[in-house]
Amino acid sequence: MDLPMILNISMLLTLATLLTPLLSPLLVKNYKNSPSTIMQTVKTSFLISLIPMTLFIYLGMENITYFWEWKLATNFKIPLNFKMDQYSLMFFPIALFVTWSILQFTTWYMASEPQITKFFLFLLTFLIAMLTLTIANNMFLLFIGWEGVGIMSFLLIGWWHGRAEANTAALQAVLYNRIGDIGFILCMAWSATTINSWDIQQLSPLNQTPLLPLIGLILAATGKSAQFGLHPWLPAAMEGPTPVSALLHSSTMVVAGIFLLIRTHPMLHSNPTALTLCLCLGALSTLFAATCALTQNDIKKIIAFSTSSQLGLMMVTIGLDLPQLAFLHISTHAFFKAMLFLCSGSIIHNLNGEQDIRKMGGLQKTLPTTTSCLTIGNLALMGTPFLAGFYSKDLIIESMNTSYLNTWALSLTLLATSFTATYSIRMSLLVQTGFTRTTPTILINENNPAITNPITRLALGSITAGLLITTYILPTKTPPMTMPTTTKTTAIIITLLGILLALELSKMTHTLIKPKQNPLLNFSSTLGYFNPLTHRLSSTQLLTTGQKIASHLIDLSWYKKMGPEGLATLQLKAAKISTTLHTGLIKTYLMSFALSILIILISSTQ
Amino acid sequence: GSAAMAAYLTHQQKVLRLYKKSLRHLESWCIHRDKYRYFAVLLRERFDKNKDLKDMVKATELLRAGEEEFWANQHPQPYIFADSPGGTAYERYECYKVPEWALDFWHPSEKAMYPDYFAKREQWKKLQRESWEKEIKQLEEETPPDGPKTEALPPARKEGHLPPLWWQYVTRPREMPM
Repeated sequence: MDLPMILNISMLLTLATLLTPLLSPLLVKNYKNSPSTIMQTVKTSFLISLIPMTLFIYLGMENITYFWEWKLATNFKIPLNFKMDQYSLMFFPIALFVTWSILQFTTWYMASEPQITKFFLFLLTFLIAMLTLTIANNMFLLFIGWEGVGIMSFLLIGWWHGRAEANTAALQAVLYNRIGDIGFILCMAWSATTINSWDIQQLSPLNQTPLLPLIGLILAATGKSAQFGLHPWLPAAMEGPTPVSALLHSSTMVVAGIFLLIRTHPMLHSNPTALTLCLCLGALSTLFAATCALTQNDIKKIIAFSTSSQLGLMMVTIGLDLPQLAFLHISTHAFFKAMLFLCSGSIIHNLNGEQDIRKMGGLQKTLPTTTSCLTIGNLALMGTPFLAGFYSKDLIIESMNTSYLNTWALSLTLLATSFTATYSIRMSLLVQTGFTRTTPTILINENNPAITNPITRLALGSITAGLLITTYILPTKTPPMTMPTTTKTTAIIITLLGILLALELSKMTHTLIKPKQNPLLNFSSTLGYFNPLTHRLSSTQLLTTGQKIASHLIDLSWYKKMGPEGLATLQLKAAKISTTLHTGLIKTYLMSFALSILIILISSTQ
Repeated sequence: GSAAMAAYLTHQQKVLRLYKKSLRHLESWCIHRDKYRYFAVLLRERFDKNKDLKDMVKATELLRAGEEEFWANQHPQPYIFADSPGGTAYERYECYKVPEWALDFWHPSEKAMYPDYFAKREQWKKLQRESWEKEIKQLEEETPPDGPKTEALPPARKEGHLPPLWWQYVTRPREMPM
């Protein structure tokens, strides 16, 4: 049995199955897609993608497939190059599983939407672009996937395009991603000029990569994965429908930046400056996002900031030179984050569009499955021992603690970990426990299997994924084996402190003290004042500079000062100086005559 | 009769608006209902203390102080209902609200799929064209010389006439798409 061929064929079949709903209306007469057919397609694709994953797990089989080449220039090769290695073979089943669950959920969530099939086709196109990004071996194909997910993100965030906020948010996403793309293209240009290829394989043998392409890659990851500096688009992206938030902005698209850094890891490995930059940037992102999430009241925004925080943690892992661990965190994070979003979608729809947690409460009795899965998701997010998040998150904190790296980054990450526990518990307490604060005139039920099946499936994934992946995939680098007990239990202790803080804050909300604005609350509520500062400052600066150039530089300087007015002032100065000499006194003139004759006589005699 | 909307707000309206928005922001601060009720009762008592003040100067000063206190104590993320401006579902279905005159631009083959509907529609349009002049005449007669005092439209006065601007009301889009 030719197993490499089976690996190859099954991977390509996965991708081909996904293309079927897009191509069938063109090829088959009177063929109409429907949401359930698209969901079945993704389910089939998931089942097929289990074959190559099994082959990889049991035989360690990897593959690079080289297809057709775009013959643009004679010595520059741009082939259609698929890399089926550990990362892409593991990512495919996970992404397809999560997408299948989300699509099943969407058949219920968007049932009252007039253009539901178009929505499903958009999600499918996004998935294809994302998988192209994952399986690409050269930067050109990766860039095609990269731009594809960016465009689909724009179309899906602005799905309800009658809403002004949604359009603004979609535009924000595109612009911030574009700034990241500048970095990506910088790296592509550098590699095209230096090693004459866009293959990621050929980047590794370099001993010492210069900093410039790495800055480009880190900028690309900052833009796509919402690190601090280019992060505002991710909370704004919650304007899109909940399935969009669950698929794009939690599990798949936002990890594309981190995935790029994992793929180009050999380049980063040799440059300690770039690694430190990743570490500090990731630590800052994770703390900033966790601080903002503490005072948010919209359930989707809390989960969005949670995603942003976890992306910062993934960046920290890249900075620690542990790409495999970052990938493990991507995989486990996909499960519980998508589940959190689906649970929030179920709650929102059942409460007739209510997204504010101040008007939710006591939902444990009315939505038992959803709230249990919400709890499981929150526990996995906090890194509860032996759930999915534990295997990745705890390892990251341990590795960070035992490495002799940046203490500032370490303390920020630990603080962010405790804040993670705080806002998760706060969300759970306000949503699930206590007396209900919802309007009385709603009908709540979760009798539809289209809701409960995806959520329970993802809950199962959240519980077991960490264990399964770490059992079957061995780490390439030895994790730290021995450390003092306090170091080992740092993550747990910090999380428990965070939980205590949340319980204390919740008790404070019950006591009869009137709450007020204070500087910390204001900082967190307004998301660190970042949005108005950057959005307004940058655009006003740009426009005033443009106005100054147009009016002052061109009109004033060139036309006036270099031309007539300049000449006139020069003349005036000369005239003023010479006017003082025109005193009209004859004696002075005779003196100047005499002086000049004297000088001529003296100089001529010598 | 209902109160007409004038170009300025009365003192009572201003005080009531301050009270309502301070209650809403209090609700955003005090999440749990019992705590909210406690502070809402205290707030109401503060408003009721000065309810019977006849001196307009003092009343305006109190109102101004109240507005400043509201500004200082407002919630940075007040609770906004989903369908209200600024809410999460506001204008969400605007993209599906196509105006009714788009039906006139359908291709004849498409219109032939619904012959009864379009035949009836032609009758409605004929009715609208006929009654338009009468509606305009009624509105011109009933509007006072220095502009209308209120936004409310008058009902039909004569026998066989239709209320003015009825077409806009009848052909308004659905709240939620089908």
